Amino acid sequence: MLEYIIIFGTISGLIYALIALGFTLVYGISGMANLTHGVFFVIGAYLYGVFSSYLSQLISPTFFYLIPVFAMISSFVLTGIIGSVFYRVTLHQILGDEVGILIASICGCIIFQQLIYIIMGTTAAFSFRIELLVPGKITLMNTDVLAGQSLAALISLLAFIVLSVFISKTKTGRAMKALSQDLEAAMLVGISTEKLYMFTTAISAGLASLAGILYTSTITEGVTSYMWMLGLAISFTVVILGGLGSIKGSLVGGLILGFTGTAAIKILPEAGVLQQSIPFIVIILVLIIRPKGLFGKRVEME
Amino acid sequence: MPINTFAKYFRKVYTNFATHIYDVPPRMLAFLILIIFTIVPYAGIEPRRLDILTSANLMAILAVSWDLLVGRTGLISLGHALFYGVGAYSSAILFKYFQWPIWVTIPLSLIAGVGMALIIGTPCLRMKGPYLALVTMAFPIAIVGFLYYFRDIFGGEVGIQRLPRVFTIPPFSLNERYVANYYLSLVLLALSSIIIYKIATSKTGIVFVSILDDELGSKACGINVTKYKLMSFAISGLFGSLAGSLYAHMLGGSATPRYFYDNTALIPIENSIVPIIVTILGGIGTIYGPIIGTYIYFLLNRYVFENLIQIDPHIQLLVFISIVVLLVVKWPRGIARTIVEKLEDLEEPREIEEIEKEKTKKVEKG
Amino acid sequence: MPLLEVENLTKRFGGLIAVSNVCFHVNEGEIIGIIGPNGAGKTTLFNLITGYLKPDSGKVKLRGEDITGLPPNKIANKGLVRTFQIVRPFRHLPTIANILVALQSYRGKKRIEWIKTPERKAMEMLEDVGLTEMMLEPAENLSHGDLKRLEMARAMALEPDLILLDEPFGGLSLVETDYMVKSIQRMHLDGHTIVIVEHKLYALMRLVKKVIVMHMGEKIAEGTPEEIARNDKVVEVYLGKAI
Repeated sequence: MLEYIIIFGTISGLIYALIALGFTLVYGISGMANLTHGVFFVIGAYLYGVFSSYLSQLISPTFFYLIPVFAMISSFVLTGIIGSVFYRVTLHQILGDEVGILIASICGCIIFQQLIYIIMGTTAAFSFRIELLVPGKITLMNTDVLAGQSLAALISLLAFIVLSVFISKTKTGRAMKALSQDLEAAMLVGISTEKLYMFTTAISAGLASLAGILYTSTITEGVTSYMWMLGLAISFTVVILGGLGSIKGSLVGGLILGFTGTAAIKILPEAGVLQQSIPFIVIILVLIIRPKGLFGKRVEME
Repeated sequence: MPINTFAKYFRKVYTNFATHIYDVPPRMLAFLILIIFTIVPYAGIEPRRLDILTSANLMAILAVSWDLLVGRTGLISLGHALFYGVGAYSSAILFKYFQWPIWVTIPLSLIAGVGMALIIGTPCLRMKGPYLALVTMAFPIAIVGFLYYFRDIFGGEVGIQRLPRVFTIPPFSLNERYVANYYLSLVLLALSSIIIYKIATSKTGIVFVSILDDELGSKACGINVTKYKLMSFAISGLFGSLAGSLYAHMLGGSATPRYFYDNTALIPIENSIVPIIVTILGGIGTIYGPIIGTYIYFLLNRYVFENLIQIDPHIQLLVFISIVVLLVVKWPRGIARTIVEKLEDLEEPREIEEIEKEKTKKVEKG
Repeated sequence: MPLLEVENLTKRFGGLIAVSNVCFHVNEGEIIGIIGPNGAGKTTLFNLITGYLKPDSGKVKLRGEDITGLPPNKIANKGLVRTFQIVRPFRHLPTIANILVALQSYRGKKRIEWIKTPERKAMEMLEDVGLTEMMLEPAENLSHGDLKRLEMARAMALEPDLILLDEPFGGLSLVETDYMVKSIQRMHLDGHTIVIVEHKLYALMRLVKKVIVMHMGEKIAEGTPEEIARNDKVVEVYLGKAI
C-alpha cells in the first residue's frame, strides 16, 4: 500500500506540478494571474490528438515512435502561439486592472472551450482520449505500473529540468528572472516587458499543453472541452501548496497534491467519485487555514 | 440634472424630476420602463414565452447582486451560482423535512444565503484577487460533491423534486400562471433593485466603492474593511438566494445540483458565468446595467436565436463571450451605461452651472 | 508622556535592512520632520508606524499604548493618521464622498455627534482646503495639487491627534507648495501634532522645529534645522564625502 502511494503519488504529482508550472511562471514574472492557462492544458491535448492522427498518415509505420515526439512539439509550439497571441490582444491591454484580467481570462477559457466544441465536434468535446505514450507494464517497488504513466512522469521531470536550465543559463531566461525580482530595475536596464511577457506566456502555454498531453494519456476517461476548470483547480492547488512564482514550489506543491490525492483515494475508495473534485476541496481547505498559502509570504503592502 | 451615476449619493440633492427633455434621471426612466414591462403580457405575446422573461427577471436579480459585490466593492466572484443553489436547496430542504409553506421557506432561504456568505466570506474575503476568484469558482463545484455524498438528504443527482409552486394550477389556469409568474418576478426584481440601489447610494455604499478603488486607502481612513466586505457579500448572498429560491418555486419545480454545476449545459458553471456576461454587457457598477444586460442576453439568446434566426448555440456563446472580452478590454462601461452617459452629454453647458449651484445649496441645507 | 514613541524599530526584507533600530519620540504639539536621501527608509518607517508593515522587532507606542503591529484602520481610529506619498483618492467617488468615507469609520462616527450631519462636516473640511467647487466632481478629474489637498482634508476629517504626512509637497508647484506650507502651519496652530517626511528641504525646514535625519535605515542625526544644516555627517550623506 505504501509503495502504491509513493509510486502513484509521485507520478500524478509530477504531472500536477507541470500543469501548474506555466501558471506560476507567468504570475511570478508579470504578476498577472492568467486564468486562461486552464484551457491551454486542454488545447494541448486536443492538438496532440489532431497532430498524431495527421502525422500517422505522413510518417511511415517504421518510424512510429517519432509521431508522439513531433506531435508533442507541434502542440507545444502551436499552443504557445495561441496563448501568447490571445494574451497580447486582450490581457496586455488591461494589465493594471486585476478584476478585468480575471474576467477576461476566464472568458478566454470559455472562448477556446467553444472553439474546441465547434471544431472538434460534440463527441470529441465530451471525451477525447489519448493513448499512452508507450504500451506495456513495468514493475517498480513491487507494484505494477503502466510504462506510459512512468514515461509521462519522466517527461514532466525533464521539462522542469530544461526550464530551470533555460532560466539560469540563457539570456532570455535571466531576463525573465530579472523581471520577476524587480520590474523597474529590469525596465531601466532595457528589458522589453511587452516582448518578454508574450514570450513567457508562450512558454507557459506550451508547458500547459505538454502537461495536458501527459495528463490525458494517463487517464481513461479522456479530456473534455470544459476541463479547463480542473486545470485551473489543479494549478491553483499546487501553487497554494508550493508557493506562487517558484519553480521548485510547483514541484513541491504538485507532489504534495499527488500524494494526498492518491492516499485519499486508497483510503476512502468511495471518494473515487470525487476524484476530480479533490483539487477543489483541497483549495478550499488550505485557503481557509492559511489564506496566503502554505509558503506565501504575508504580503503586507501592495 | 446631470446623471453622473457614481455621483448620485445624496438623496437630499435629488428632490425634483427633470425639466429638460434629455434630462431624465434614472428614476423616471426606470419608471417608464417599468410601465412598459407591465404592459408586456397584454401585448400579444404567447403566454408560454413569458417564461423567458420571468427567468430573465430572476437572473437579473442574481446579476444585480453580483454587480454589487464585484462592480461596487471590487470582490471578484466567479461562483455566484453558489447562492442561486443555496437559495433553491435551503427552501427545498425546509419543505422536504417540515412541509412549511413557501412564504416561510423562501424568507428562511434568504437567511441561509446570508449565512453561507458569512461562513464562506470570513476566511475567503481576505484573500488576494486571483485566489478569491478561484475559491469562489471552486465552491459550487465542491458543493456538488457534497450533495452527492449525502444523497439521502439532498437527493443526489435528482435533487429534491416536486416543490410547491407559488401559483398552483387550480385556482390559476396554465396561461394565467405564466402571467402571474411574470408579474411576481418583475415586482421582486424592481424591489430588489431599489433596495440594492438604496444601499449602493448610501454611506455604506460609498464605503464599498472606497474598497473597490483603494482598499489600503480605505483602511487609512479607519474603515474596518473586513466588516464591509462581509456586508457586501452578505447582501449579495441574500439577493442571490432570493433569485434561486424563486426560480425553484416558480419555474424549476425542483432543486437539483444543476443550479451549481450543470454537466449538460454549454458551460457547466453556467449560472456563475451568466451574471458576469450580462453585467458586463449592460455596464458593470450600475444597477440598471445588469438588468438591461440580462434582457439583451435572454432576448437574443432564447428568443431571437432560437426562433427567428437559427444559430448554433455554441457559436452564440462564443460570440457573447467574445463581446464580453472586447468590452472588458476596450469599453469597460458596457452598453447601457454608455448610452446613459451619452444622454448626460446632451446637456446644455449653461444649465450645468445653474444646476451645480442648486446642488451646492441643497447639500448645505441638508 | 510623549505622544508617539518609536523604540528600536527594525525591518528587514530578505537580506536588506530597511529600517535599523530607529528610536525617536514626538511630544504633543510638536511639528517634526524626517529627512534623508532616497532609500533611507523613511517611507518604510511610516509604514511600520501606521500598521502597513509589521516590524521584525521594536515597539511603537501612542500615548503609552502599544500599537505595534495593529492593523492600519485600528491605528487610524486611535488618532494616528497618515497621508500617502503617491496620492490615492477614491477615483470613482466625488470629492466630498472621499471625505465621507473617513467619516464612516469608527472614529468618524463617534466624533461627529455634535455636528448635524456628516455631509456638513465634509463640506467644512473641503472649505478648509479650498476644494468646495470641486465638491461633486469625481475625484479622478482633480489635478494633482487638488488631490494633495483632498488627501489632507481626508486625514483631517478624522480629527487626528497625530498626523504623519508622507511627502506632502511632492509634485507641487511653488504656489501650491506655499499654500500647503500655510495649511500645515494652520494645522499646527490648531494643536495637531505633525510628523513630515519630505525631500523639499526649503519647504520643510521653515515649518519644523526638530529634524531627524535617516540614512540606510538608521537615524544618524536629530536636532533643530540649523543644527542639522551644520552637521557634517548629514552634509556628507547628501552630497558625498566633504571636500
